[in-house]
Amino acid sequence: MGSKTRNRIVSAILAYVVIFISLIFFILPMLWIIYTSFRTQASIFTGDVFSPLEEYTLENYQTILSVTDFITFFLNSFKIASVVTVLSLFCSVIAAYALSRFDFKGKNTLIMGVFSTQMFPQVLLIIPMYLIIFNLFLLDTVLGVVLGQLILVLPFQVWMLKGYFDNIPMDLDEAARIDGCSIAQRLLYVVLPVAAPGIMVAGFFSFVVSWGDFLIVSIINQSQRTATVTLIIQRLSSALLIRWGQVAAATVLTIVPTIILFFFVQNRLVAGLTAGAVKGE
Amino acid sequence: MKERQKGLLLLLPTLAIMALFTVYPLLDSLRMAFTNEHLLKDPTKFVGLDNFVRLLSDEVFWISLRHSIVLTTVVVFLQFVFGLILAWAMNQDLPGMSVFKSVIMASWVIPVAATVIMFKFMAQPDVGLINIILKLIGLDNLNRYWFGDPDVAFPFIILLHLWRNVPFYGIAFLAAMQAVPRSYYEAAEIDGASAWDKFRFITLPGIRSMIVVMVTIHVLWTFNNFDFVFLATGGGPVNATDVLPVYVYRQSWNSYTVGYAASIGTVMLILLMIYFAIYIKIYERQEVA
Repeated sequence: MGSKTRNRIVSAILAYVVIFISLIFFILPMLWIIYTSFRTQASIFTGDVFSPLEEYTLENYQTILSVTDFITFFLNSFKIASVVTVLSLFCSVIAAYALSRFDFKGKNTLIMGVFSTQMFPQVLLIIPMYLIIFNLFLLDTVLGVVLGQLILVLPFQVWMLKGYFDNIPMDLDEAARIDGCSIAQRLLYVVLPVAAPGIMVAGFFSFVVSWGDFLIVSIINQSQRTATVTLIIQRLSSALLIRWGQVAAATVLTIVPTIILFFFVQNRLVAGLTAGAVKGE
Repeated sequence: MKERQKGLLLLLPTLAIMALFTVYPLLDSLRMAFTNEHLLKDPTKFVGLDNFVRLLSDEVFWISLRHSIVLTTVVVFLQFVFGLILAWAMNQDLPGMSVFKSVIMASWVIPVAATVIMFKFMAQPDVGLINIILKLIGLDNLNRYWFGDPDVAFPFIILLHLWRNVPFYGIAFLAAMQAVPRSYYEAAEIDGASAWDKFRFITLPGIRSMIVVMVTIHVLWTFNNFDFVFLATGGGPVNATDVLPVYVYRQSWNSYTVGYAASIGTVMLILLMIYFAIYIKIYERQEVA
């Protein structure tokens, strides 16, 4: 019995060591950039961790919000990510429902096909995609960026939602069908309420992917009109003379929306994301 | 209309978008790989295997290929190991663990561009956190811009990948671990199994399907990942961090030689298809077993 208690204490200590190192490695970089965003250029360049109190400032945020067009870019990001989320949810929910509830020839091949698009290099697809969007006169438009980003999220969304729907008992919508409900009614009133947490995670996924996308925006955007925050912080941070305080402030503003959304879904995130992986177990 | 046909209609929007923006671009880029297509020059002609022949003697291609394979292997392997360790720690019933679990995945949701800026700033000479800490412990002589040093830039790219993904692995493995029935462990304890035995014979097999999914999808995502290297170093210093996706991007959007770029992308696709074929073989064998 004594060795068992000792084992437990050793495990606890080891676990806390892992947790402690993880906190430093995963959280400290975020805290450091937040901290930096409140420091003056001069105090950052002293190379000291702490500075006198008067060296802390809101100036970086004021400059980013007033001197640059950051607000415009932020709204661009928001507009694009919202449209991507709504469109991709609409498409993936109905597709996943069909894949989960209907049987047809070649269904497994189709599912495998959708999943296997994950292996297509995006840098390869984007060359013809650019030409398509050019020919549709959609370069430098919100719609152009949205169309490009949809394929970043759809396959994974369909796959995870199908897994999620598979875990919802068939009897529910079967009963509704016998009562004469149409497909739309069953989906809307029977399945959606039960699947709401999974759909929320799928929506979160597409918002975050769209918000963080750099590749598609960098190609489709030609001017400032559809530039997003990721594009702008990249530009700010590769300027000849980098104002680190301002870069930090812009970075924090870029991160904040995703972190806020993250705290809404975090306790469901993994169950939702991995629904396709744990089905039937 | 039959119920089932109506059901199939639901697939239409997704399939239409994927046909137009995934399948067609794929086929079209495969066609381009056999042409001398240039974004700014007009007459495009079929050049057979010329692009692929040119690849054979393109030094940057071989460097990028080697980096891509090494990066993917090392990154996925380390993420898997550290993810397991993290999951094990989070699976201990200890005070404070639920708070830790709720914050740890934050690194996965923030934009890669922001992650790269955080690390670039920390890697700055003199004023970056890494060099400040090194100075505090008396290692001033290591002071440098860490992404600018050809010897350490590549490990730093690996670090970026780990920072983003290890918590995701940890949380996913944890979810799978918690689904393993407790009675298995109790039975093993009665038989006098050691902690290591329990881990090897109960935990690992219990979370196998999650491991397969996480590893497979991250091999694809890491090999195809463009953002980390492009944003952190652009492939430099002097090709020290070049990977295939970044090379394809530079060939298409800096040199506008999209035909050649497409041939490099085609090689990437072939490599991933070989990997995917092996994965399917293993997966099917497991399904049968």
